[in-house]
Amino acid sequence: MAYPFRHEKETRILSEYFGDPEARTLDGWKKRGGYQALRKAIEMGRDAVIEEVKASGLRGRGGAGFPTGVKWSFMPKEKTGPSYLLVNSDESEPGAFKDRELIRWTPHQLIEGALIGAYAIQADHVYIYVRGEFFEPAQVVARAIEEAYQNGLAGKNILGTGIDIDVTLHLGAGAYICGEETALMNSLEGRRGQPRVKPPFPAVSGAFGRPTTINNVETLCAVPHIINKGAAWYRGFGTEKSPGTKLFNVSGHVVRRGNYEFPLGFPMHELLYDVCGGIRDGRKLKAVIPGGSSVPILAAEECDINLDYESVIAAGSMLGTASVIVMDDRTCMVKQVRRMVEFYAHESCGQCTPCREGTAWVAKIMRRIEAGLGTEADLEKLVDLSTNMTGTTICVLSDSCAAPVMSSLKKFKDDYLGHIHHGACPVAAAAVA
Amino acid sequence: MSAELPTGEVIGGAPAAGATGPTRTPLVGGNPGWAGERGDFSHLSEADIRGDSYVGRRPLDGGVGGAVCSMPYQLAAKEPDAPLFEGPYAERAEKIIARYPDKRGALLPLLNLAEEVRGYVGPDAMARVAEILGLSPAYVRGVATFYTMYNRQPVGRYLVQVCTNVACNLCGGDEVLQAFLEHLDVEPGVTTPDGNFTVMEVECLGACGFPVAVQINSRYFENVTPEDVPAIVAGLVAGEDSSDAADGSGAGAGASTAGGAPRRAGAGSSSGAPADEA
Repeated sequence: MAYPFRHEKETRILSEYFGDPEARTLDGWKKRGGYQALRKAIEMGRDAVIEEVKASGLRGRGGAGFPTGVKWSFMPKEKTGPSYLLVNSDESEPGAFKDRELIRWTPHQLIEGALIGAYAIQADHVYIYVRGEFFEPAQVVARAIEEAYQNGLAGKNILGTGIDIDVTLHLGAGAYICGEETALMNSLEGRRGQPRVKPPFPAVSGAFGRPTTINNVETLCAVPHIINKGAAWYRGFGTEKSPGTKLFNVSGHVVRRGNYEFPLGFPMHELLYDVCGGIRDGRKLKAVIPGGSSVPILAAEECDINLDYESVIAAGSMLGTASVIVMDDRTCMVKQVRRMVEFYAHESCGQCTPCREGTAWVAKIMRRIEAGLGTEADLEKLVDLSTNMTGTTICVLSDSCAAPVMSSLKKFKDDYLGHIHHGACPVAAAAVA
Repeated sequence: MSAELPTGEVIGGAPAAGATGPTRTPLVGGNPGWAGERGDFSHLSEADIRGDSYVGRRPLDGGVGGAVCSMPYQLAAKEPDAPLFEGPYAERAEKIIARYPDKRGALLPLLNLAEEVRGYVGPDAMARVAEILGLSPAYVRGVATFYTMYNRQPVGRYLVQVCTNVACNLCGGDEVLQAFLEHLDVEPGVTTPDGNFTVMEVECLGACGFPVAVQINSRYFENVTPEDVPAIVAGLVAGEDSSDAADGSGAGAGASTAGGAPRRAGAGSSSGAPADEA
């Protein structure tokens, strides 16, 4: 059951209980098989859990797609003090709205996955970092944590095994950059959310200077299923290099927006035209951003691809969070790219000059072009700035700002030239005609 | 600290006007989309989707330590001069600090708590947090100003934040923002003369499948169109006079926990926590 629409072709594993209010509760979750995986994981032992997750090929769902089991194996085997598991629920990538559904419908799915992860890496404390705007989902998570504590699933001696794992909800306060793993650690520590230089990597020195692993909500939600049914079962979905299912969160100009769960490698064409009912108002597709606003834009003719990590990279973009933003032929690329760029300018943490200065200047130039006051020389400046903003900073926010600029300049140059030569938006003018 | 704590916003209520289209949900208490375009899930109530009966009322003292940072009460009846970290809030602050290996970790949660009580975080609140955590006020200010959710001045009873980022923008984000500004006859970031509304643009709210997303205090309004704006505004104003019953189903479920002052509607700012109880 995806949300708010379902489709018969879906493979619902993580999203099976979206729209089922009883599944939120601890009793309801247990009735649906909840917390059996935690018990099983502890019986298996830490190393076996990590090996199983490695074997499943599960890749981080927060955007980078790093193999989860491998990440867990970086944590020190010898315990010399406290260590932490951080849950990244700072979901604020424009286009992404999957983690909110996961935490508000199935908070115990997340807590169970997090407890298994914490057990495997010997973390003493799980911090669930939820973006501050998510007041309502945070209440659901808070209640679920309370239930977990009251029923011996969190805190001291979980499930009577002698293992202690604390779970704490932590709310952000409005900063996109805190979704970056080391920025999130700084934020958790009560600092400005500025990314850290790596190394040291989090598994060596992360939150509070201790070994830390950070995983996305969707990643951890997949873990109980992998433990229950095995790595081989999980590998039965998806592709060789991108195993498993993924929530595709589709927004923009489709008939049925929403979260749909499919094996990775699902064809984009089928997702847009069959599952989502095609483009709204019978319009034509102009462009798709396949993985949230930080990845390069694909033109309509580039969209006949499968949605797995490798295929999307081969097409010149990235799967990211599988947040598919769909734009029809009435969309002005200049306006939308300008809006995305303003976002990055607003959210730049200000540490690195190429980003702090670059995002602001790109935004200024984009506003000028949109207002019909740009010149063709501005387009060269945009390319120059974007080039200097790519690969030159501590984190990839700067690159993320450059991606839509570069890809739209390459693929939708006419939109830019229209603004420059006619002093107005050619797309808007065509829509009126 | 008085036993009377600030009262909460309640926007729910009985179904109002009819649906505006085949896939639109009926207006409920002025929140037309409230939980998105429900599609195949129209059998669910707003309370089902929001998890109201499950969540119940989070206790003011925060309850279980792990859940203590949940910031449950973003109040409509904001009290810019309310005392900070007193009564159950003092207990909550203590529990928060205990969750972190370094006191500094409690900085955001304590600022959140200050904002929850007062509706904004001013220099004195920052200084108070600094004192509690053994940090300098300048450091706290440096951190607080990094995060956009800390209002540095008091805002209207209802802080209306309209998402205009790409996914909402494609579906009319700019138009919805404009509709709020025009309907309330106000400039972005400026509070209406009656103190009721502050309207601003906001970055992506993470509800891209339900455009246009608008956050009003702690609640998301979803699938908002410019046409919905007058009803939303009227619903908020009317909500001030509604009774606790408007809170919707099962809201009392978790009310038994210590310190749980009723989260009820009504009561303008004058009947909230008195600032002069000393």
